Amino acid sequence: MDILSICGVAIVSAVFVITLKRHNAELSILISIGAAVIILLSVIDYVLNSLESVSTILAQANVNTEYVIILLKVMGICFLTEFTCDFVKEAGLDSLCGNIALAGKILVLVTSLPMFMEILSVVTKLSGGEMIE
Amino acid sequence: MDVDMIFKIAAIGIIVAILNQLLVRSGREEQALLTTIAGLIVALMMIITQISDLFATIKNTFGL
Repeated sequence: MDILSICGVAIVSAVFVITLKRHNAELSILISIGAAVIILLSVIDYVLNSLESVSTILAQANVNTEYVIILLKVMGICFLTEFTCDFVKEAGLDSLCGNIALAGKILVLVTSLPMFMEILSVVTKLSGGEMIE
Repeated sequence: MDVDMIFKIAAIGIIVAILNQLLVRSGREEQALLTTIAGLIVALMMIITQISDLFATIKNTFGL
């Protein structure tokens, strides 16, 4: 999958969306969502490959895999939130988009909280305070 | 890469728009509305499998 065909799909679907927008606005949103899904599905295999290489590098650098898993989860949450938020905003529902973004932020916070607690315990250990369990 | 789906949805949209105009002009507004809803549901059923495919792939990739 090269960049030329991705651009082609984007241009063709943009033309369809503009053509249909006046007469059939619901279907034009569906076309733009479909085009985005097709484009993302065609490039997500590369993401999988590069994530595998990154995790190999991190394993060689003796980084704890627990942190890598948390990082990947946060990345996935951000990815999904961004994708959904963009389409909801395009459909004209800005408030729903804000809610989705807020939910994504809360989930990112909850997912990364164990990591933050660990940093905090390292800091307290260095400063000679009591350990936080 | 399943580009045919975009063309299919665009064709559904054009056909539904034409039918809608014809039915409105001949004074059958209820049937025009039903045609629009039917076209919307058909296109939605096509898209929803792709979206679920994308979400499943993201779930597998990032280990959510």
